[in-house]
Amino acid sequence: MTAVVRDEGAGVGATREGLVGIWVGCLMLAAMLLAGVLVPWFSAYHPNELVARPFGAPSAAHPFGTDQLGRDVFTRVFAAVYRDLGVAFAGVTLPLVIGTMVGVALATVRNRAVLAVANSLIEAINAMPLLVIAIALISVFGPGLTSIVIILAMTNWARYARIAQTRAKIVAQLGYIEAARLQGYPRHRIFLRHFLPNISAETVAYALSDVILVIMLISGLSFLGLGATPPTAEWGVMMSEGRPFVQNAWWMTIFPGLALCWAGISLSFLAEGLHRREQAVA
Amino acid sequence: MASNVFLPDKAESGTPPGGSLASRLGVRVARAVGVSFWVMVIAFGLIRLAPGDPVIARLGAEAEPAAIERLRRELRLDVDVFTQFYEYFTSLLRGDLGRSIENGRLVTEIIMTSLPATLWIIAATILLSLVVSVPLALRMAVARGAATAYVFRATTSVFLAVPTFFTALIGLIVLGVHWRVAPVIGYVNDFPANLAYVWLPALVVSTQLVPILSRVLYGSIKETLAEEFVETGVVRGIGRARFQWVYVLRPSLAPSIVLLSYMVGVMIGSTVIIETIFSLPGIGRALVGAVIGRDYPVVQGCVLLFGLFVVAVNLLGDLIANWLDPRVGLT
Repeated sequence: MTAVVRDEGAGVGATREGLVGIWVGCLMLAAMLLAGVLVPWFSAYHPNELVARPFGAPSAAHPFGTDQLGRDVFTRVFAAVYRDLGVAFAGVTLPLVIGTMVGVALATVRNRAVLAVANSLIEAINAMPLLVIAIALISVFGPGLTSIVIILAMTNWARYARIAQTRAKIVAQLGYIEAARLQGYPRHRIFLRHFLPNISAETVAYALSDVILVIMLISGLSFLGLGATPPTAEWGVMMSEGRPFVQNAWWMTIFPGLALCWAGISLSFLAEGLHRREQAVA
Repeated sequence: MASNVFLPDKAESGTPPGGSLASRLGVRVARAVGVSFWVMVIAFGLIRLAPGDPVIARLGAEAEPAAIERLRRELRLDVDVFTQFYEYFTSLLRGDLGRSIENGRLVTEIIMTSLPATLWIIAATILLSLVVSVPLALRMAVARGAATAYVFRATTSVFLAVPTFFTALIGLIVLGVHWRVAPVIGYVNDFPANLAYVWLPALVVSTQLVPILSRVLYGSIKETLAEEFVETGVVRGIGRARFQWVYVLRPSLAPSIVLLSYMVGVMIGSTVIIETIFSLPGIGRALVGAVIGRDYPVVQGCVLLFGLFVVAVNLLGDLIANWLDPRVGLT
């Protein structure tokens, strides 16, 4: 994956490379996941409960203020953690599995015509801006978080298929596959124990940074009114609800936005750290 | 560097360039044509993928059978799928994308009126990002010390993870409402008056583009600096500015151009949201409106246009990169 960028910094003293990123990313993510459990659990309010006057500024009782209906923004922001991250996880895992399978399957295809057609289709899907194709498909499936996961499974596999295919070709020629074959291991064992792990390492690495893009896609679509719908506590929905009042009740928009950034930045640090580490070791 | 993790297809180098330039050009163009064909098929297939009936989805289950029949005929959904594709394909060659169900306007006309605003945003974003990224990456790459590189990487990581619609809202509050230096809403459709409306959206999209671009550029400049001809330049005593801008920059630009052409697709995605936030009459907003109104011909037309546009830009990017640095393969 390093035709575009090859990095400096490998070599002497590089063993600690990326550790800070990994630690900071993990801690930020863990803090958020923990708060996602604890805050809704201990909060005095239900995310969809009308608990105070609308548009209340941040205060001791409502640290993030209240929204246009008088719901507690603090509770809602953290009630959305598992919704956003969970949907993102599903929206990344499905394409990851489908794409890896397709890519590995394609790597075994010898027929050049079939390969050319398949690769051209994969390239076409990848050429489509993800958000555009997702929006267009929403017109078919209707708004909703389930639709988004289906759409991601339908479109985003192509990126993983591309990576897995390239990687599979390389791995198939490596010595340890040859060695396993010479040892007389059965084919399925070679495939499951030697072949697949070395391919999925690459696709999983991509998946980690893909989570960031997918979270942005989910919240972006919801922000446009094409994903989760009110009164669901979801960051994009909350930001879109807060948008008309952003001049006076900025907290309705800013806090969900910051939560979104927090999630994105933690994953970004994590992905960056792991990537640097992998490069330093290689 | 994580930025290339965002770019699975461009990051894979193909087979080393073989054959004459003309034949490699031919292969690359043929590939673009093949991909365009699939883009057409995808745009065609989108509304026909529906598990239910798109006509009923639009009109509602209680609609009169006569109205359902009429719309079905209008969308040409009453014939078999191969005839539909043949008609779609041939009318496409004539430049006919059909008419909007919503208001009967030609889809091509809708696209032509909304395209300029989008293109202005994209052009302004690219210009702005290049103006910031190139000097930034150059400064970072020639700087010594691990701290600079560290801060650079951490900062770009943060910016990469902030969604553009959040940046857009902040920009709107701070620059539009508080400081009143940017219009909050509206658009004027002629140059240079439109720049007043374009600069803030472009700035917002740049907050995503600059980190990616400067990272890739930074990486390739570092790589170039390690090459022998650079040493030759140093030994010959070329002035610092000329050395950096001519010797180091040009061979380093090729990967960034490829990246930039790829990023145009991603940017189109962000302009969809940005146009909605800033109420700019661009093609992204046309798409969102059409999706909400289930105006299938317009959706199909926008998707087709976006897809073909990205394919064309990717082709152009590869050609420019190959011209800048012939070592960059075309396929």
